[in-house]
Amino acid sequence: SKISSAACGYGFTLLASNTRDITKVWGMGLNKDSQLGFQRSRRDQTKGYEYVLEPSPIPLPLEKPQQTRVLQVSCGRAHSLVLTDSEGVFSMGNNSYGQCGRKVVEDEIYSGSHLIHQLKEFDSRVVQVVCGQDHSLFRTKKGTVYACGWGADGQTGLGHYNITSVPTKLHGDIAGVNIIQVSSYGDCCLAVSDEGDVFGWGNSEYLQLACVTETTQVNVPRHLPFKIGKIKEAACGGTGNVVLTEEGNVFVWGYGILGKGPNLIETAVPEMIPPSLFGWSDFSPDIRVAHVRCGLSQFAALTNRGELFVWGKNLRGCLGTGRMEDQYFPWRVTVPGEVVDVACGVDHMVSMVRSFT
Amino acid sequence: LNAAPGRAPRQRVRFLPAPGPGGGGAVELVAARVPVLADHPLVRGPLFRKLKIGAGHRLDVKASGVFVLGIGHGNKLLTDLYNCHLTKVYTVGGLFGKATDDFSDTGNLVEKTTFDHITREKLERILAVIQGTNQKALLMYSNIDMKTQEAYELAVKGLIRPMGKSPPIITAVRCLQFALPEFQLEIHCLHETQQYLRKMVHEIGLELKSSAVCTQVRRIRDGVFTVDDALPRTQWNLQSIQQAIQNCQLKVETELEKTLG
Repeated sequence: SKISSAACGYGFTLLASNTRDITKVWGMGLNKDSQLGFQRSRRDQTKGYEYVLEPSPIPLPLEKPQQTRVLQVSCGRAHSLVLTDSEGVFSMGNNSYGQCGRKVVEDEIYSGSHLIHQLKEFDSRVVQVVCGQDHSLFRTKKGTVYACGWGADGQTGLGHYNITSVPTKLHGDIAGVNIIQVSSYGDCCLAVSDEGDVFGWGNSEYLQLACVTETTQVNVPRHLPFKIGKIKEAACGGTGNVVLTEEGNVFVWGYGILGKGPNLIETAVPEMIPPSLFGWSDFSPDIRVAHVRCGLSQFAALTNRGELFVWGKNLRGCLGTGRMEDQYFPWRVTVPGEVVDVACGVDHMVSMVRSFT
Repeated sequence: LNAAPGRAPRQRVRFLPAPGPGGGGAVELVAARVPVLADHPLVRGPLFRKLKIGAGHRLDVKASGVFVLGIGHGNKLLTDLYNCHLTKVYTVGGLFGKATDDFSDTGNLVEKTTFDHITREKLERILAVIQGTNQKALLMYSNIDMKTQEAYELAVKGLIRPMGKSPPIITAVRCLQFALPEFQLEIHCLHETQQYLRKMVHEIGLELKSSAVCTQVRRIRDGVFTVDDALPRTQWNLQSIQQAIQNCQLKVETELEKTLG
């Protein structure tokens, strides 16, 4: 089956195909909180595996398993979300902070749990699901954003710092704005509107939102007044953020290895990464960055030629450059094909590759 | 070149005797501008008796494509361009199923193999491995520490490449066409020889558990000069050459500025 969507969590991976077959999602990695659903152990039929060592099917409680398609998957620290086209969103894994969108049950044991919760009550169809470290974001077709989960850094954007166990609509500067993309991986969140503006909320200890406020936690979405052009896509990492503009330029800000050499460790204002680092030159002037992605401390950029460039901390070789050292500026990864999409985790990365036609 | 109207002869101010006003033998010196006789074509002879022509990177007999030449003062530019270590781009054509002693299709046949197990995917995997090993070699021979700000500055300018002697390094390969048994690759390389590229085709054949020979090596770019700048045989005349030199002047200057400063 062709894998259409992949997501890396903190030590586990989800792969999904938009097929009509019964098995649509596979998972591997850590399963101590049943973030990969219940994986029946072969030795003891009553217990589940805590570590899944190869892609194993995840059974979803679908009403129409032979009609519904899985559109997208997303993974957080110990929970995951699966987005379907007609049956809403399925959440599984740890729910200690309500990140699965259901009421927190005291002393609930998540290991070996069969519970997969279905979320359907949104103002319109959900078109994107995003998992932060311990919170979840849902973007609907109407352009509204819902959130639930841990909120101590304000990452739920609901105006308080408490836990939310039911997906609740966000207001603030994004009220009435048609949001076309949301992103989060740690405790900071970014949203892009159809007009090219970017909004942020959540953790700002690493200058992610320092351009609008000095507070280190922002619990209401705030507009980030950057003058870098219309923004097409945004991606949030643990301490750094990256955006892609309509012209195809990549801007980074925050803290950590941002991609402009070892001298740039932190900045509150977005700085552009020179396009020549992505292969642009006088001989190939139509190379553009098409997508940007973030892991916890890594960044990845995909060009329109299907090339993958990575930079950031190289934990356990997750960058794929062939070396174990950190990469301080974008470096091309040699892949045997055209890279269609990439998913970054904490210390691993997954890319979906197509053979050159 | 000699038939073209040459420079106008130099002029010189000479004081020539002329009959003075007053008549009868009095001689006066009058300033006059006269052409210098040494510049007269009948005295000097043809302007150009030899032309110094230098050749750029070698292109062997079986290969074709862009070949850079320098004329007169251009020879100095040739040495500078050589020291820039710019990449060259080749289209290399290969044929699966045969292996010869000199790796090209005109050599003595050494073995024949089957090739129907080869798919485009497998070829691309081999090309990715080649690129990967060559990238490591690139970093090693460029002698830069990737953790420094200097490395970042060089990478932005596109100057991470070995600036001294090094074995042949491939900076990029991709498969342009694949129609068994033929295939065509585009190779970007440095410090290579055409025979090295033919050997690479042979080795690709071996890696794919078959064999391959090289049918064509064509250089499509040598540093800043592309196939569009190059003159085909029908245009090997003075006008086209002069035009081509003028067109490329700016490109060469900017490249030398950028790399050698």
